[in-house]
Order: sequence, then structure tokens, then C-alpha cells
Amino acid sequence: MASRTGGVIHDIGYRPYEGRRLSEGSIAWSLFRRGYLEAFGIGRSARAKILPMTMAVLMLIPALVIVSVIVLVSLAEGFLNYSTYINIFSVGIVIFVAGQAPVLFTRDLRSGAISLYLARPLPTWAFALIRCASLAAAIFTISALPLLLMFIGAVSNEADFTDQASDFFPAVLSVLILSVILASVTGLISALTTRRGFAVGAILISLWVSSAFVTAVQAIADFNRMDGLSQFVGLLSPFSLADGIQSGLLGGTASFLGSPEGIGMILLYVVSSIVLVLGSLLLLIRSYRRKAK
Amino acid sequence: MTVIQTAGLTKQYGSLIALNGLSTTIGAGITGLVGANGAGKSTLIKLLLGLLTPSSGDAAVLGHDIRTQGTEIRRLVGYMPEHDCLPPDVRAIDFIVHMGRMSGLPPNVARERAADTLRHVGLADERYRLMGSYSTGMKQRAKLAQAITHHPKLVLLDEPTNGMDPASRDDMLTLVSKIGHDFGIPVLVTSHLLGELERVSDNIIVLDGGTLLRSQATSAFTEVTGVLLVEVLGEDQSQHRMGEALAAQGLPCRPRGSLIEVDPRGLPEPAKARDTIRDTAVDLSLGLVRIQAEHGQIQDIFRGEPARG
Repeated sequence: MASRTGGVIHDIGYRPYEGRRLSEGSIAWSLFRRGYLEAFGIGRSARAKILPMTMAVLMLIPALVIVSVIVLVSLAEGFLNYSTYINIFSVGIVIFVAGQAPVLFTRDLRSGAISLYLARPLPTWAFALIRCASLAAAIFTISALPLLLMFIGAVSNEADFTDQASDFFPAVLSVLILSVILASVTGLISALTTRRGFAVGAILISLWVSSAFVTAVQAIADFNRMDGLSQFVGLLSPFSLADGIQSGLLGGTASFLGSPEGIGMILLYVVSSIVLVLGSLLLLIRSYRRKAK
Repeated sequence: MTVIQTAGLTKQYGSLIALNGLSTTIGAGITGLVGANGAGKSTLIKLLLGLLTPSSGDAAVLGHDIRTQGTEIRRLVGYMPEHDCLPPDVRAIDFIVHMGRMSGLPPNVARERAADTLRHVGLADERYRLMGSYSTGMKQRAKLAQAITHHPKLVLLDEPTNGMDPASRDDMLTLVSKIGHDFGIPVLVTSHLLGELERVSDNIIVLDGGTLLRSQATSAFTEVTGVLLVEVLGEDQSQHRMGEALAAQGLPCRPRGSLIEVDPRGLPEPAKARDTIRDTAVDLSLGLVRIQAEHGQIQDIFRGEPARG
């Protein structure tokens, strides 16, 4: 032992640490980074990497094909719009989110590790927000990477940079908005249960059902020329909400039929998104505070 | 050195009083916090971590107010919860490094200390295994490791021996003793098994139904009580005959198992009781096997003695 002298050679004894300790900001960054990596299964078992890595690769394949075609045929423009890419391949994002949101939220509750985090310097609200940020960043990565690939492919193939950029950047912004909405909503759903299966099911159902409902009602409304109804219904799914903001506010191509028109409706889309995100985050923080007690 | 100080600390959930006006001071070394399940031990720990707000009263941990300086406290304290808290799909080394970082250790220090700490708790060879494959004893050690990896100034251990077999329980208590006595980190350790902490703790706090029953040095619990235990050998209800003879001479006594419990504490000359017992055994022609001074146990204070301090 440290206080004894002589005798023991191999036991180097306990070494106290009186050195530098990092600020809450550094701790937060460390938690964010680890959460982000864990969303892709990095730092976890080999099995945990299968789903997120597969989804990330599957999301990239169509973009790779598009870029290859552009390069081979020497097209001046991509034949797939940046703004609509995400909604066409939204199934990949839904599966990724349904699989990985429980990893960042349900898993801490199920294993009980949440009590170790809450007994450390980061406040409860910060922990909840950082977990959400990790998930949002992971969703953003797998959604924006294909767009970036297509953009680089198009630009390097002599497409007009300004033309491409004016489509690309609004699409990326829209992906960011979608990532934040999805992370906060699915984070909340995952933090309400300790059963991973329940969380996965609830996320799949809520995202697919809401998306299908919006698409169906908008198709019927469009057929009957009920534009108002079509635009209001678009508020009910994260995908149509983000799509509405990017098409109405950022001038991108709409994937859903009821793209908001007029400043009032566009504002309603923006405010609804903010309320949805803030409301989910508040409920998430409240749920974590209860866990501390 | 005062590590924890509480004054009238109370926590109430609706009509249930989990902790009732606790006023005590805890210093360096190992302090055992004992009490039955529901006595308020875990509530006290969560209050000390600043995770719960007290209904009334105050407390300071390492000089920091639990109401306003929770973050500071959680920076300085290590906590091992009672229940499971390890993600099964992570290797112990990765998890302890991560937890060190969550307590503010720089990356390289966190890595170095995680390896050291896992060696100290006896998980050096198993540190690259996923924690889901650990036995109960190994999980408890990993939980302990995450509580001490950042070199805290105080460690709060909630039921560290819970669910362990007797051998692992002994090992865990040895580790607790090592942390408190060799590493020099003050420890507050809880147990619902009243006698368990006698061996390792310097001081004992006993809670019962949220109320402080007693707080004093462990040696004070285990000192000689003044009661004598007598065993005799002979034919034909020897114990009964001996007991009656002692009672006839004015010594208060009663049977306790195969022994006779003699309580001379109320007599004018209690020291003479041993002579009387010896002489009585001779008179009755019984073999006197032993006269043993009884030592106190922590459990005894639940047998109706009035509370002190």
C-alpha cells in the first residue's frame, strides 16, 4: 500500500489525482461525442454496429449510383433533386432512428446507468439535451452525407456551382431541421420506456403512420382541390413539416403535395416545428428529473 | 475533518416521512449507515448528492451546501448505487474511462486511472470483457470502480454487498476498508444487514424509520456490556438448578439458549458476581465451563434500548 515502505515490489499502490479537472463544457462535449459514436455502434458490441452501419451504407448507395451515372454519362445536372432525396429514401432514416434512439435513451434507463450520469457534474437538463444532440447529429450524418456526395459529384463534373449550391444548401438545412425534430420526438418516446422493443415499435408506428396519413389525406385533398386542408395536414408528420419549411421558406422542391403557401401558413409550419421540438425536450427533461428521484 | 454535516435534515413524500430531522456529523474514515430497508438510507444519499431537495433542514458535503452547490458536490463525490447500473454491451475498461471523463478527468488521465482502478478492484484480467457477461460479484466491483476512478474526496456506497455470496461479500468489505483506510478516501457505506459493517467501519450511524437511532464509534457498539454469560456442565437440568441458585442469591438471571445470562449491572457490587457464580457452581457440584463477558452488537439497539446521541 502507498503508506507502507519496503516489501511489496509489484503493487504500485493507489495513486491519488490532484491534477486538472475539465469544465462542464468539456464533459458535455465528451458525452456528445460518445453518444454520437454509440449511435453508430462504435464503442459497443460488434452486433450493435450492424443496423446503424447498414442503414448508413444503404442511404449512400443511391447517391453513389447517381454520381456514377452523372460521371459516366457526363450529365451537367443531377437527375435527382437534393430536396426530395431524403423523402424518397425516408424509410432508411426511419429504420435508423427507430433502432438508434432507444440506444441513446432507453438503454440508460434499462441498464440503470442513468443514475451514474445524474450523480455526476452535468445537470439533468444538460444530459437530456446532449443525448438529443448526439442523436440529431447521427441522423444528420446519415441523411446529409448522400447529399454531400451528390453535390461533390455534380460540381466536380462541371455542373454549375451556383446552381447546385442554391439547391444543395437549402436541402441540407432542411435535413438539419428534420434531424432536430426527429431526435427530440423519438428521444422523448424512447425515454418513456425501459423496453427497447416498445420504443422501436412506438417510433416506427408513429413515424410511418403519421407520414402515411399525411400522404393519403393530402392526395385526397389534392384530388378535391382542398389546398387549405392539404397544408394543415402537413403539420402532422415530422417529414412533411420539415419538407414544408424547406419548400415554403427555403425555396426547395416539395416532396409532399400540400406545400405551405402564404406567409401565414409558412409561419405556422415554423412555429409548429419549434413548439414540437421545445415541447418534446421539456417533457424529456421532466422525465429525466423524475428518474433522479 | 468534517466531511458531511446535517442539521434537521428532513425529506417528506406526501404523508410519508423518508428522513426525519437528521442531525449528525460524519468525519474521515469509514462510516457505516445501517438500518432496515426503508429506513431512509438511500434517501439520505440522494439528498447528499443534491439530487433531491430536502423538505426542511440543511446539509453540507465537503463544505458545499446540498441545496445550491449540487454540481460542486457531484464533482467531488463518487457514488455507487444499490441497483444495476452497467450497460451490458460495453467493455468495463471503456465504461470506466467514459465515467472518469464524465467526472471531469482529461482523456489520457481517465484512461490511465481506469486501468489502475480496475486492477485495484480485482478486474484487471476481465477489463476487456463486455460487462453483460460479468457475475454479480464482478458487476459490483465494476460499479465500485466507476465510483472511485476520478479520485473523489468522498465515496457514497449504497448497499455494495447486495446480492453477493458470503465470500464475495467479504472481498467487497475488504475493498471498502482498503478505500477508506489505505487510499485515505472518506467512505459512507450503507447496509441493511446490521452486523455486516462492524468489521470495516470506524463509525456507525443507525437509522430506523427515517429517524436517527444512534451515531457513534463502532467500538462503542461492541464494547463489553456488563452482562455475563455462564455455561455449566452437570447432570439433570444443571442449567436450571444453577439459574435458580443464582437467583436465590440475588443475581438477576435468565436462560439464553444453552447459557445463563447474568446481569449484575444493577447490584451494588457487580464485580463480585463472578465469585458468586464460581462458588455456586462448586456448591452444586457442577462443572463451570465458562464465564464470558458479553460484547455488544449493532443489532442490540433494536432490542428496545433507549437511543443515545
